[in-house]
Amino acid sequence: MSRENDGFVYHRGLLQAVLDVVYRVVNFFVRWDHLPTLLGAANLSVFRERLREHNLHHTGYGTTSPGWSPGNERWRSADGSFNSLDHPRMGMAGARFGRNFPLPECVPDSMDDLLEPSPRVISKVLLARDTFIPATSLNLLAAAWIQFETHNWFSHGIPKEGNEFKIPLEPDDHWPENVRGCMQIRRTVSDETPREPWLGATPTFRNLNSHWWDAGQIYGSNRDRQLEIRSKVDGKIKVGDDGMLPADPAHPGADLTGFNDNWWVGLSLLHNLFAREHNVICDGLKTRYPAWNDEELFQRARLINAALIAKIHTIEWTPGILGHPALDFSMHANWSGIPYRVLKTVLGENSEAAYGIIHTPTDQHSAPYALTEEFTAVYRLHPLVPDDMHVRRIDAAGADCCKLVDMQGSASRKFMETHGFVNLLYSFGTAHPGAIRLHNYPNFLRQFKKDDQPLLDMAAIDIMRDRERGVPRYNRFRELVGKKRVKTFEEITSIPDAAKKMRAIYKGDVDRVDLMVGLLAEDLPDGFGFSDTAFRIFILMASRRLKSDRFFTDDYRAEVYTEFGLDWIQNNGMKSVLLRHVPQLGQALEGVNNAFAPWNVLRAEPWPSS
Amino acid sequence: MALIITIPGLVRLALVRDPDELLRVNDAGTVVRPLSGRGGLFNRSVAEKLAVFRAADGDIWPAFRDRHDPLRAAHQTSLESALSNIGPLLERIAPEITELGNYVRGGRTPRSMGVVVQQAVGRLFLPDYVASEESYAAARTLQAWLSAWPLRAAWLRRSGALKAALDHIEVASQGDMACAHATALAMHNIVKSIELMRELALHGDNLAKIEPKDAMLRTLRAPARVVREARDGDFVGLVRLRSRTLILLAVETARQQRASDPGLAFFAGAWNQCPAHGLVPALLGKVWEAARTRVIAGS
Ligand code: HEM
Ligand code: HEM
Ligand code: HEM
Repeated sequence: MSRENDGFVYHRGLLQAVLDVVYRVVNFFVRWDHLPTLLGAANLSVFRERLREHNLHHTGYGTTSPGWSPGNERWRSADGSFNSLDHPRMGMAGARFGRNFPLPECVPDSMDDLLEPSPRVISKVLLARDTFIPATSLNLLAAAWIQFETHNWFSHGIPKEGNEFKIPLEPDDHWPENVRGCMQIRRTVSDETPREPWLGATPTFRNLNSHWWDAGQIYGSNRDRQLEIRSKVDGKIKVGDDGMLPADPAHPGADLTGFNDNWWVGLSLLHNLFAREHNVICDGLKTRYPAWNDEELFQRARLINAALIAKIHTIEWTPGILGHPALDFSMHANWSGIPYRVLKTVLGENSEAAYGIIHTPTDQHSAPYALTEEFTAVYRLHPLVPDDMHVRRIDAAGADCCKLVDMQGSASRKFMETHGFVNLLYSFGTAHPGAIRLHNYPNFLRQFKKDDQPLLDMAAIDIMRDRERGVPRYNRFRELVGKKRVKTFEEITSIPDAAKKMRAIYKGDVDRVDLMVGLLAEDLPDGFGFSDTAFRIFILMASRRLKSDRFFTDDYRAEVYTEFGLDWIQNNGMKSVLLRHVPQLGQALEGVNNAFAPWNVLRAEPWPSS
Repeated sequence: MALIITIPGLVRLALVRDPDELLRVNDAGTVVRPLSGRGGLFNRSVAEKLAVFRAADGDIWPAFRDRHDPLRAAHQTSLESALSNIGPLLERIAPEITELGNYVRGGRTPRSMGVVVQQAVGRLFLPDYVASEESYAAARTLQAWLSAWPLRAAWLRRSGALKAALDHIEVASQGDMACAHATALAMHNIVKSIELMRELALHGDNLAKIEPKDAMLRTLRAPARVVREARDGDFVGLVRLRSRTLILLAVETARQQRASDPGLAFFAGAWNQCPAHGLVPALLGKVWEAARTRVIAGS
């Protein structure tokens, strides 16, 4: 197999082999999430090793070799090439998505089965939101955050016209764009690069963005875009006189930033916040290194800002959404190692467990680094998005009830101007996202107008995308991440009536349940905001985004980041970033441990009787 | 009805012998060619056996490629059309046909009959293909590998015999995977047919009495079995296949129940139809004719 994986081979240590056996026995009796914290954390690391060995599959690069530009050895290239100096194409913009399962498992059904059961019926019966189910341990910034991050990691591009899927509509379905009894769904942009013969029947797709955790959503995934967003003075990002990102002339309503597809106010808040952070980091660098030119300042600030965002994601957002003690512990361990001095000494300084992934040697494990189709699939978290939210003012009581649909797309900038950056941050901090469950898909996205595309039922599209891309359906997906297959619908879910509805839609065949439906239906471990099945992909890929990246491992050092940079990353977090740029939020954040948990509502307001 | 054998941890297997059922299972959406090796130790050992049929660059041999693999379908079509040029192709291998005819008639041949078959098959792809006792031994090693019990299989792998056989076949095929398939695996069915023809011919005055077409029908043999996996659970007709069941399609047993239809031996008309489904019967007929020609001439 090694030829297909471009020569990368997995090496399992003796210790890991022993732990693997021990935990097979342990897990026969106890699930990982029922173990004491530390044993649970070690259990997760065993899972991760198994996944690293079996669940990384190369699909070819799909790009030609990029040209070298000066600085590539010291900082992140605009398109992510040369992160690995030996494998320059690895992870660059335009490279293919990889797979988490052996390639023959990742083959779409043939045409008749592909449309079965109807994604539109699933959208209506299983996904549509009746009443909003909030995720009460989180605030709405957590939802915007994860979309902000997925925009860093991947995009399949914007589907083009032609050869649409035609989903037959039920007679009582009043879908407005009924074309000869069908709803049309465009296909994912296809990969036209030459196919390696060993790909078999597995379809491939290319990532528009770089796969690395390089804050590409802010900085873009090519040199032209990067130059467009820069002020070209002192390394800074362009902002207007009001301190806000300027408008993108090519994309009405959106800000000028690295990647601004599916734009809404939630994204604008985070893009603005971290553009400001970038510019402050530039100031800090310039005082210490007055001789540095614009390029040097920009690139170093980018490294620092990107690492800070990755840190916030790892040790704040993730434990926020997955509130399990073993996970809180593991995620801190992922970043900075375990807090026990004796163990650290025993494990040695190259041990991830002891010192965190950061700063240990780079390792690709069993395949070249790439994000995967399965990774994209588990991040289809649209139920996080509410249909309505209360927009508050920081300096007054009361709230306006606003519709999400009026704060996205071409309406985004106007909405930001009307309500203001500070008030909107405060409003997002005090509102809840939706729970990631069945029957909680935002209805405005189920009938959504985007640019010149046909009307979109995003719920049906989410289902169709996983099928089209050959992501295995739920039960096989479970098996392939190392969980048992379920035999009945009741084993998946205890949501009232859901098993019955699923049985009817899937004609009693539990193996046909779509991945996203299963993930949204699955009963969750304590404190979890999403399913254990999705989580398996996540333990693997979250660690990998760090461990594969030279700038988080071999090159996470002062010569690359500067001492100032390393300290900056060490000493900052979401809360300090918020307070630095918007000090008015002080009171709202007081006593709030995790910036993605609900903030204090400052004035108990009489709710408008809406 | 399919025979289903399940021993947890060891094997999860379905054996399908009825012609209609066989075609239905072969066509089912959950039934695929690539094997995951899940379902038990036996399932895993079979999967490991088939996994070796890959070129050094990872290219997969045609009979192990996925139904939906676009390259498979394209090769199948182009090979089928190349092989449909039956007259000229049989002309090209006329010397081998004569040699085989001689063998069927009971004549002595200077080399193993298998070598001649392999050369004939190889020349369908490469006009100057030369088979030898070594290349035929390589084909037999691969055939043996497929049905070997664990100890023998371990020995074939350990001793390097397996690797050497694969290398030999692939070099001789000049990288053409279909040629490798034909000269290593498919040829054994033709060898079996020729043996049967010889038995048939040497019995009474069969050679003169039996027409080539009938001789072909009486001696054509399909592969004993080809393998599939039910990736997900499903009902196919009356058979309930659990997920990760290893499926053995007993093609030869099914063919015997429909001996008048040579198509079944080749899955003719199915997605996986053998591109040689027209050529092989013609070839066998010609061999019989060759065997007769001399008889008539000599009598
Ligand atoms: C107002 C908010 C949002 C809008 C308008 C929106 C809209 C869209 C649209 C139009 C697509 C492309 C559909 C297609 O494949 O044709 C998409 C894909 C996607 N969205 Fe959202 N989305 C929103 C929020 C979110 C959030 C909060 C997440 C959370 C992680 C998310 C995750 C994704 C993912 C993972 C994809 C698949 C991307 C790909 O295939 O490369 N989205 N979204
Ligand atoms: C107090 C006890 C322990 C705790 C709390 C602990 C915790 C952890 C954590 C949090 C991880 C990383 C998980 C992740 O990043 O997802 C990890 C990984 C690991 N731990 Fe432990 N651990 C403990 C004891 C041990 C011991 C005694 C050993 C062996 C001597 C060990 C060996 C490992 C190994 C080999 C890894 C995987 C390293 C890698 O990812 O390459 N751990 N452990
Ligand atoms: C008596 C002789 C032969 C018999 C009975 C036979 C039978 C078969 C059968 C049953 C299959 C389907 C296997 C499966 O689906 O797993 C097959 C596939 C195939 N056969 Fe033959 N075959 C014979 C000779 C040949 C010869 C002489 C060639 C080449 C010249 C050939 C080339 C192929 C190829 C390339 C495939 C793969 C088709 C695909 O799925 O793409 N076969 N054959």
